[in-house]
Formats: sequence, C-alpha cells, structure tokens
Amino acid sequence: MSKTKINRRNFLKVLGLGGAGAALAGCDMPSTVTLEEGEEKIYSYLAPEEYVIPGVGVWYASTCLQCPAACGTHGRVREGRVLKLEGNPDSAVNAGKLCQMGQAALQAHFNPDRITAPLINGQPASWDDALALINEKASGGNVAWMTGTVSGHQRVLLDAHLAATGKGHHYAVETVNARAWTDAGKTVLGDAMPTLHLDKAKAVLSLGADLLGTWISPVTFMGQYGKFRAAPRGVLIMVEPAMSLTGANADQWVAAKPGTEAAVALGVGHLLMTKHGLSLNGMPNATSAFQSMTPAQVHEIAGVSEAALNKIADTLVSHSPSLVIANASHAAARIAMVLNIMLGNVGKTLTPGASIAADPLAPMMGSSKDLAEFAQNAAAGKIDAVFISGANPAFVAPQGLDMAAALKAVGFKVAIATCHDETTKACDVVLPLSSALEDWGTHVPAYGGKPGVVHLQQPLMEPLHADTRGLGDILLTLGKSAGVDGLDAFEDYYGYLRTAVSAMIGSELEGDWHRVLQAGQFETRAASRAFSAGHDVALGFSETAVSGLHLVTVARQGLYDGRHANSSWLQEAPDQISKAVWDSWAEIHPKTAASLNLKDGDYVRLTTASGAITTRVFIYKGVHPNAVCVPMGRGHTDYGRWANNGVNPLTIVDAHLGDWQSSEIIATASLVKIDAAGENRHLVRLMDTDQQYGRKLVATIPAQQFGRTQGGA
Amino acid sequence: MSTERSKRKPFPWVQAAVAAVVVGASIVLGAQIFERQLHPESAGVAPAPRVPGAEFPTDTFAGKDVEQPINYSHKLHAGDLGINCLYCHTYARRSKVAGIPPTAKCMGCHTVVGTDKPEIEKLTQMWQSNQSPAWNKVNDVPDFVHFSHERHLQKFLFDNPEMDIKNAPDVCAMCHGDMNQVGVAKKMKPLTMGFCVRCHESNQGPSDCTRCHK
Amino acid sequence: MSSLLGNIFKGWSDYTKGNEEGGHHDYEHMYAMVIDLDMCTGCNACSTACYAENNLATVGEEYFGARQAMHWMRIERYFDEPNVGEAEADTQSRGASFLPMMCQHCNAAPCEPVCPVAATYHTPDGLNAQIYNRCIGSRYCANNCPFRVRYFNFYDHQETAWPAPMEQQLNPDISVRSKGVMEKCTFCIQRTRAARNTAKNEGRAIRDGEIQTACQQTCPTSAILFGDLLDETSAVHQAWKRHQVQLGKYAQNKTNPELRGYRIFEELNVDTKVLYLERVREV
Repeated sequence: MSKTKINRRNFLKVLGLGGAGAALAGCDMPSTVTLEEGEEKIYSYLAPEEYVIPGVGVWYASTCLQCPAACGTHGRVREGRVLKLEGNPDSAVNAGKLCQMGQAALQAHFNPDRITAPLINGQPASWDDALALINEKASGGNVAWMTGTVSGHQRVLLDAHLAATGKGHHYAVETVNARAWTDAGKTVLGDAMPTLHLDKAKAVLSLGADLLGTWISPVTFMGQYGKFRAAPRGVLIMVEPAMSLTGANADQWVAAKPGTEAAVALGVGHLLMTKHGLSLNGMPNATSAFQSMTPAQVHEIAGVSEAALNKIADTLVSHSPSLVIANASHAAARIAMVLNIMLGNVGKTLTPGASIAADPLAPMMGSSKDLAEFAQNAAAGKIDAVFISGANPAFVAPQGLDMAAALKAVGFKVAIATCHDETTKACDVVLPLSSALEDWGTHVPAYGGKPGVVHLQQPLMEPLHADTRGLGDILLTLGKSAGVDGLDAFEDYYGYLRTAVSAMIGSELEGDWHRVLQAGQFETRAASRAFSAGHDVALGFSETAVSGLHLVTVARQGLYDGRHANSSWLQEAPDQISKAVWDSWAEIHPKTAASLNLKDGDYVRLTTASGAITTRVFIYKGVHPNAVCVPMGRGHTDYGRWANNGVNPLTIVDAHLGDWQSSEIIATASLVKIDAAGENRHLVRLMDTDQQYGRKLVATIPAQQFGRTQGGA
Repeated sequence: MSTERSKRKPFPWVQAAVAAVVVGASIVLGAQIFERQLHPESAGVAPAPRVPGAEFPTDTFAGKDVEQPINYSHKLHAGDLGINCLYCHTYARRSKVAGIPPTAKCMGCHTVVGTDKPEIEKLTQMWQSNQSPAWNKVNDVPDFVHFSHERHLQKFLFDNPEMDIKNAPDVCAMCHGDMNQVGVAKKMKPLTMGFCVRCHESNQGPSDCTRCHK
Repeated sequence: MSSLLGNIFKGWSDYTKGNEEGGHHDYEHMYAMVIDLDMCTGCNACSTACYAENNLATVGEEYFGARQAMHWMRIERYFDEPNVGEAEADTQSRGASFLPMMCQHCNAAPCEPVCPVAATYHTPDGLNAQIYNRCIGSRYCANNCPFRVRYFNFYDHQETAWPAPMEQQLNPDISVRSKGVMEKCTFCIQRTRAARNTAKNEGRAIRDGEIQTACQQTCPTSAILFGDLLDETSAVHQAWKRHQVQLGKYAQNKTNPELRGYRIFEELNVDTKVLYLERVREV
C-alpha cells in the first residue's frame, strides 16, 4: 500500500480546494439553470383589477370551516392562488390565531383527491342529469338532511328546503360535541352556551372538557389560557381517564376511572360543603346528592384518592373566583354547573352568553344523538331520501348502529362532498362541492364571538375544478325546484347572500358591502341572555363504568373525528401526547401492560361487545389503569391517498349505552378485552424517549417561585 | 497480489494535491483581481454615464431568437414610437416582477391603431375569445433567486436625483440591454450570478447571500 | 486584490474581537426569539403553520421513522420533570412538558465553520442562513448541530408531498428544496425580506413587531415573541433584559436567579438566540 493513500479526508481536501475555485468561476458560467430562454411560458392578465399586481400578495378575509368553531381567517392570495391562512385579528373568536387544523384548510382545498364532477351510481354525470334525478326521487315523502354543525344563511336555505319538501328532519351529526355541557347549562342555568372567563378565573377544574384541544372553540380558549397563565397565574386541574391536551397542560392531572368524573365532582361538592362550609340555597336535591357522596365512596367508585379530592376542593376555595367545566357526561356537566353556583362563580367567571337576535341563523350544533336517531329512523324505513353534507355517518357510526344497513334502507341518498369518503361510496348521487376556500357563506360562531357578529366566508380563489358548486348554490337550486318562495329572484347564492347581508346591515351601498368583505364579519342586532336562578335538578350518575377495562375513544386536535385524515400535514404532525405519526395506537397504563406482559409497539387485539380492532400499544402513565385509550380519526378505507392507515375505534364503541339522562353515545363506556396479537413493530414517533436525562431542556419551576418574580414581568 | 501492487508506481497524491492547490488558488485570486469590477466600456475617453451615479454593466450575451405567439416589436414601440418601458411593464415599479402587460393595455391602442395588420388581428382574436397569449419567457433567473424589479428601479431611477422617468430605458438597459433596438425580445445580458455580483460590487448593492438567494 | 485582503483582515479582527469581548458582533440586526413554555400548550399549530409557509415536504411513515422528516419547527414532549423532583410513580400528575424546538440561530453556530462550501453562514441580520443552491449535501452541519434541527433531503419528495394540484400552494418566496440539500428554519427570512422592502419604500426602519414569523403569528396562546435584539425598545430585547440573560456567556450571572429565562445548552457556548421561559407547575 502506498503511503499517501486516498481516504475520505484527503479526497474532500482536494475536492474542497478545487471546488472553491470552481465555485467562484462557476458564478459566470451560464449553466443549465440560468439558461432558460424560451423554455417557460408566461401568461399575462387580460384585464386585471387595479389592485392585482403579480408578485404581490393580497390578503382576503374569510371564515375557517375546519371545525364548528368558525374562526375568522385571512388568506394570502398571489397570482390567483391562496398560499397561506392566518387568523383574522379583528375576529373576537380567534383574535388573529389559528390552530393546526385551520392551517391545514389549505390542504383540504388543494387536496389531490377532490371530487371534480357529479356522479350517479359512481359514474360521472352532468349536473343537469344529477339534478333531474334528485327532483324525481327526492321531491316528496320524508326527505331528510344530515349535516355537521351549520349556521347562517346555509341553515336558512336548508330549513326552507326541508319545509318545502314536507316531513323531513335535519340531523346534525358531530361526534366531537359539547352537548353534555350545553344541555346542563340549559337545565341548570337556563342558558345553553354561557360565556366562560378563563382569563379571570384563578383556578379551573375541568371534568373531561378538552378546552385546549377540541372543546367548543379551542382557539378562543387557548387565547384565554395564555392570559390565565400570566401573573397572577391560574391553576388548572383536569379530571379524566386518559390525558388530553388540556390534561397535559394541567397543574394537577387526576386520573379517574372511565365514566366516573361525575362521582369525583360530587365528591368535590361534598368536601366543599362539609370541609369548607359552602352551601346551596334552595337546592335540596343537589345538596342531598353532594352529601351522600363521601370521599371514601369516590375513592371506591372513581379510584381518586381522598388526598387528591381534598387538594381539588382546597384549591377551588383558595383560588376564588374559580371555574368548573365538564364535558365527560351529562351528569358531570350538571354537577359542574351546580358547583359553579356553590362556589359563587356565576356572574364572575361564568356569565350569560349572547348571540345574534336573528334566530334562524343561529348555529345548529351537532350531536351523536342525531346519528343514532338517523340510524333508527332509516332502518325503520321512515326516511325516503337523504341529503348528506359535512358528515360522514358511515365512518363515525359504531357498528352497533349498523349504519350500512340503515343507509341501504334509505331509498335515495345524495352526498354533497369535496372528497370521496365512506359515505359518498354508499350514496346514489354525489354532487361535487366547492372547498371552503372557494365558497360563499355566513357563519355564526357558536361561542366566543362578539355578540351579534356574523362571520362572512368569501372565496379566496377561483374554483380549482370548474364543475364544482358551492353549498349555498346547491341549496338555492334545490330550494328553487322544491318551490321555496322568494328564491327565484336570485340567480346565484352570491346574489342571495348579498341581498340578505345588505338587509341585515341596513345598507345596500356598494361601499358597505365591500367593508363587510374586507372585515370578514358584520354586526347585526345582538340578543343577550340571562341566567335563571339555579334549577334544583336531580344530580346523579350512571354506575356503568366502575370496574374492568374500558375503551376510551378521544379526539385530538389534528385529525379530529377523522375528517382531517386526508391531510398529509396533519397525518405527519405528531400526536400531541404519544408523538406518533401516520398510524393508530392504543394508550395503556404500565400496570395494564405489565399484567399482560406487553411492551411498547406490541400489537394487541381490542375486543368489545361490538367488535374488535388490532393496533399497537403505547405505554405511559397518562391513562387510568382501567382505561385503554384509542384516539379517533384514523382507519379510513375510502378517504384519499393519505388516510388509509390505522384503525377506527369508533366502530367498536357500544352504541346502545346511552349517557345518563340523554341518548348521546358515550365514548368511555364500552368494556374491552385486550389480548396480545403476537407481533411487535416500532411505533413511528417524533421521539423515542420521554426523558430529558437530566438535561435542562424543559425546565420546570414551582408556582411559588413564579409568584415571587411575577413571571419575570 | 501484494507484491504486484507494491511494484506499481503509486499515484502522486501529494503532487496532485499541490497542483490542485496552485490551480485553485490562481483561479480564486485571479477571479478576485480581474472579475470583481465591471469590464471597462472601451479604451480611451469614457462617455457620459448612461445612468448617473451608477456604473453601467457592459457584459453582453448573444441570446437566441425566441419565437413568440405575437411578433411584437420592442424596436417599433419603445424605439421608434418612444413609448416608455414603464408604460407597459407597469408592475416593475411596484412588484418584484415586471410582468407582461395585460391584454387590455394593448387593446387600449389597438382597437383603433393598426387593426388591419395580421399580428394585431391575431391579438384581437385572442382578446375577443378571452385568451392570453402564451409568451415564451426570455429573461429568467433560476427559481432559487429573489430579484426585485421594484428595488432596482427605486435605486437607479426614482431615488436617483439625476434621473428623470423618461430615461427609464437606460435603467432597464442595465440588465436587459437596449431592448428598443431589437424586434422580438432577446436576452442580451448574461444574468448570471457573476454578472449580478460585479454590478452589486460596483454599485454598492447588498452582498449578503440571503438578499438574493431564497 | 485589496478587497480580498481587506476581507481577510476584517474577518480576522471580527473573530478576535468576538473572542475577547464575548458576544461582540457587527450585525445590523440580530433577530431573536422568546418562547414562554408556561404558555405553550404543545398544540402543534406552529409546526403546521411552518409546513404551510416554508414549503416543507411531508415524507410519510417510513421516512419519518428513519428520522428524515422535515419539521423545521417540532414540538418535543417529555414526561419527566428533572427540576422539580421525581414524578409520582403511577400517574402523570403534572401533565407533560412541551418544547418547541427549531433552529436556535446560534451566534457561534457549530454548523457554520464545518461547511466545506460555505453554504451556511451568518447573515448581517444575525441569522444562521442556508443557501440551498450552494449546498453539496455533505451533512457535516447536521452532524455538528447539538439541537438536531437541520434536515437533509435524502430523497426528492416533490411528487409525493405535493401531487397536483397541491403544488399550487407552494410559497413562491422560498425555494422548493430538492434531493441532496440540507434545510432548516430561517426565522421566516422571506417575511424579513418583505418587511425590509416595505420599510425601504416608506423610507423608515423596520418597526418592532412588523415581522412576525409564521409560528409566532399562529400561536393560539401567543407564547412566541420575535424581534430585533439590537433594538433596545423591542419587546424581545426587553424580555431578554428582564430575564437577565445576556449573549456571549455560557453561564448567566443573574442578580435574581429565580427569573425564568434560560437558553438550552448554554454551557456549550454556542450562544443561541432563543430564550425559553421556564414552565411553571403547582407542586
């Protein structure tokens, strides 16, 4: 061997020296990249608007429809394409901020798997043929609608269509909903959507309400949470069976057995009465319910220690005003409302809500009860035709509801959708819908907006696919052919909307319309509500879930209930808790894992009374030993190129188990058997460690220290 | 086998490395000395500067003839008729791209002027059928380059006290050559990084990489 | 020739000065960040905003598992809390710790001197920049980065990440990186460039708060602050001062050691420009 051998180091030395010379000389060498004469096309505008300048981005205001919260957005448009979404700083809902689902609305719009033409029985067809078929089959009898949450003028048109066609019903389906909380608000305080003042509360107790993740209006709550964490810093306590994003940010995370949050809430009330001397005037029912739930019983039912319960009660008393919220069950939500009365929070951190006076525009909030009702009515042959838009019943329905059979029993089904999914597959006619960034609309935020403010949705670019139509336009066409009065005057939904909005703002002037477009919202008459004196409702809870292993299905901000699974950004965004990407997993406690001899990445078979799924386990201490937590959203079979991964836990939820005093499907009440499936494969995650190994990465200090420095402010 | 190898004369790595260093260094230093300034315009007396307060890049490039959907003549419009570049390329002062003028601008004149000429008839037909001509791009920088017409016009034209807007063609000519002397557009300056950097050095433009590389 | 020697001497004197007076830099601006970990909820909004703004490719499960994902801004999550003692044995009683991690734009960046072609360097704005078309893909920089925030394109992802019509969403202000190129967080340099253009047109300096990074703009709890550290009136400068954290030091000498500001891996003396504020918990 020669002494001066060529090795990696020498090779690079020579290369580097030669490269330095070549690099400088190369700046003058017209390489292939700089010689592109006549190889690219350039198209000029025909007759552009004065403000359209190529190369300069213009921002347009619109509304986000990625979840029911209806945040205001600004879209950056350049050369006719929308490139980026930001929050609308003037919107009181999100104050210029967006969550990751809002950011990913771009991918819902530019999705490569969009439906581009109407389909009849799966075959491409013309709009005329499709509409003619709809007129023939869905003009009489029981014509139903199934949607997600809808509000604004789409709802007005939808209601008008329903009224004109006759006996049909509107099913609003949202698997992720706040029905427990809104029902409790209505029952106890006479207001379904009271205003929460997180920023004014010194302590917040949440019973399964994931307010930072998916509950009602997460961006509103996160904005308030930022202020809540500033000095004087509030204390957040979370009680739930499996850690949510809110739980991960809690000062005190309390694991309760699945479905027992109500018992914990009663126990807290018990301590507030017996230990801290609080009382409820004129509510003997509630008082006795609290008195009969001793901390010892709570420990037995919920597995929450007396010490933890005492700590919660003490914190709520010492950090006044506090706020108690709940979404775990109807029972828990009612007790939470009553706890707020007992703690004197009503009027301080919990005030009457306000919305718009024009009731027909108010949001129709979805629930899973409507899903179950639809399945029952359809199976019983009570529905002749159904229009489905913004809902995917074939995906979110538990197997127990037998949605496939229910849909089959409906004679004629029309899906109005942007992308194919499990439901469009089962429909006779599929109408291609414009994306949310191509459509007109008005939306009344269910929560967090300025009272009386309506958000306007305007197109941020020309339709990507020429043959798609907006929801408003489709509703207008359907309304016209169903003979709804007063629609014939309008050529398109834009005309209808503009006339309607002009009437609401009391001005027909071009300038005022443009101001509405610019602001992305307009103000109309507000209607404020008032609380009634606390109703002495019955407080209790169902004892279905106190022993054995239970399946807990949760929604995470990201894939949500599965509607965002066709976004590669959200598939690749690591789950906040497990940090896993592109696949499903089941979260189990180390004790559960030890008893079954499981390790991270082992495949397990989860069997409930309704069915079974097989997925990998992720073992950590953020779940109760009695819970197996499987986030929903994955397990699609027909939802585009990016969604075919993971499993759908919603299918194995036992549908017949109604929540206490309601018929909502509850996500925590299915007993589950867990068996090792034999295989092990590494779960792909952002990081394979949960430990900092003593390095100062995320340093934590005690709140007392924060108090002494006032956060360094 | 090992004996065979030891008999073979080893490749002179050390000498090769030294040679490479010498060659590399001479290229580097040579480039530093000769390539940092703009090439002198001509020997002898320098003419009055075309753009006052600025060194005018003199490199040229023999661009090929690019066929266009409409045989538009810059010589006729900008040269003979003396229409200012910025009249049609109106975006140049407000955006990073100069842009092709919208067809509406062409039709501003050509609904009455030269309507009998075949090229204008072509244009009119496109206009009436709502079609934009598919122009072939002549001057182009790579996609990783950020170049702003707006900034260059601001510096050399609008913020230049000695310049009048009617002299805009002189500023444009720094990078595009005398467009008013050719018919259909042609690339007349190299638009390579060396071309850019030499001008930036002479005219005190920014030298930070990220100002131009995106 | 003179300019070459001038550059060499200037570079040398800057180098010695930087060594003698810790943290000396001849920058026009020094863009820096403050992240309040007590406000950060780990929701991922910043990360997805970054994907949208900066043309980040999604790579799919297989490549993600091979550590080849392109998340310039990633949210790390830890379950232990080394500073407040051992966690409870059976439950995750104080939640999780989230850490938004992106390029720290070190003033003494370990990635810069090892680049064989000077594709990464410090800009006069105090940013650690990466010039994509100069990069030859040696990956030395990524190996030298203590934060693991440089991402290498092992493959061309264009076809799978942006199938038509998705390429229409690509931001034209930033290159789409191809195979063999290292990429990293730029503190949204295209937004700095746009703000500088506007400011120049209006004949003024860039205002504090005028440049918002994509992550900062979307952060629902407003946990992220961005601005010029050399501008003494900027919110970022004020925050660094308030938390008594100084550049050019590998151990801070705070008069009040309870102040929350700290820099990650400060002891490595890489002089990062992202100030983190400690997470707070009731204990």
